[in-house]
Amino acid sequence: MKQMINIRTLLVASGVLLTGLLFLPAIASAQGEEVSSAIRRYKDREASTGYYEEYEMLPRRQRPFVEIPGVRRGIFPYSPTAARVRVRMRLADSHQGIKFYERRRCEDCHIEQTRDIHTVRANITCRQCHGGEPIASNAHYFSPLNPIRRHAYVCAKCHEGASASYASYVVHAPNPLMAGTMKSFPVLFYAFWIMVAIAVGTFAVFLPHTILWGIRELFIKKEKAESEPDNEN
Amino acid sequence: MNLTTKTRIKRFSPLQRIFHVLLMLSFLTLGATGLSRMYIETPWGRWLGGLFGGYEAARTVHIYVGIFMLCGLLVHVFYLLFKINWQKFPRSLTGPDSLLPRPDDIKQFFQHIAWFMGFGKPPAFDRWGYWEKFDYWAVFWGLIIIGTTGLLMAFPLTSSRIMPGWGLNVAFWIHRIEALLAMAHVFIIHFFIAHLRRHNFPMDRAIFEGSASLDAVRHEKPAWIERLEKNGELDAVLVTEAVPGQQIVFYVFGYAAVAAGLFLLIGALINTPYISW
Repeated sequence: MKQMINIRTLLVASGVLLTGLLFLPAIASAQGEEVSSAIRRYKDREASTGYYEEYEMLPRRQRPFVEIPGVRRGIFPYSPTAARVRVRMRLADSHQGIKFYERRRCEDCHIEQTRDIHTVRANITCRQCHGGEPIASNAHYFSPLNPIRRHAYVCAKCHEGASASYASYVVHAPNPLMAGTMKSFPVLFYAFWIMVAIAVGTFAVFLPHTILWGIRELFIKKEKAESEPDNEN
Repeated sequence: MNLTTKTRIKRFSPLQRIFHVLLMLSFLTLGATGLSRMYIETPWGRWLGGLFGGYEAARTVHIYVGIFMLCGLLVHVFYLLFKINWQKFPRSLTGPDSLLPRPDDIKQFFQHIAWFMGFGKPPAFDRWGYWEKFDYWAVFWGLIIIGTTGLLMAFPLTSSRIMPGWGLNVAFWIHRIEALLAMAHVFIIHFFIAHLRRHNFPMDRAIFEGSASLDAVRHEKPAWIERLEKNGELDAVLVTEAVPGQQIVFYVFGYAAVAAGLFLLIGALINTPYISW
């Protein structure tokens, strides 16, 4: 009898222990890595987006403990406002209807947008700012790049403390050399050409001036000898 | 070489020479760090950036040295305020010893050009030629333009509070063009005038030694010597030549700066097609 109790106690105890295992933290795994969805990695500019694409590796059983009533999709974002922005179902798809869209890369069409400092020097990928599919227009209300929130949702990922004014920096700045910039970014256009005029003006004067001077001085000696015949031997 | 007779005329004070050396060092450092970032897409730019610890570190060096240079400008302005002869105030600034431009400079500029072409005599320059005045004031307005835009970009969070963030796009291009102009002017025009033209070849040591050869100055700036002789001030400003050891230091330092400048100039020109503008 005494033995029976001991076996039952053992069973209960082991049951409790086994159940308790479920509440232990997950075994650390290298697979819980956040990966960018683009060809290039985040590199040293990595900043967490806080959410994951369906096809990317998810951290195992480590979901942010945030619940928003009525929103059930994927990993929950960290704030109620963010939830509304990041639920992709609500975003319009700017690329709807483009053939073979899945097989294309951003720069196939948006080549002009790959020549700015963010892309070329800091190796920022398109998706690090524009997000995953569907990509809505920046003017779309729920777009993270909408000027009402882009400073907080996009710029501040790297530029801590970015303000709305700060976010008005034109990432895909037009080339100031182009005539179209006169309309799209007149201040840049005129500042650029005024500076070029100053630079070219300086050189237009001083380059020929200096070359001529250098040549002219090669012929000084004769004059010097004439005017000061007894100067040094 | 005669080290006992006074064959040279004093041209720059020790403080002015120190200003120039500091300006040289900071200018070259700023040029190298700035170009390394501009050319970071090319192996040349990456190598150059590597000297300063990479792309990010080059920016830090650039900002600190830039602020140092701006402090130099500020100190120089205070120096000017102390240096100006306030007793003879407006006239002390319009005289021939002042670096302020005078109507004569424009006349001499055209007379000089005419002489290049073979017409007439070279102008009788006084203490400062128009090209020297231009170089002096170019640093002034250049530093104000490049310093302001540089500070705006160095502290973008603060600057976007006082102006719209898109002003940084404009500041970037103003900074870049002004920097390229400054480097091209120094590495081509200034170096040519101070080193290559026959009057100064192989190097005008005046800015390091503080004095210039009296014979050479009498030839190029006769009005200055004439004025000093007339007022009986010439003997007071005559000095002896620096000892050979010092001269070697001047030449090595001067040519090291020239080499660094030409390296930056040529590297930048060669790699121009390989960067995104």
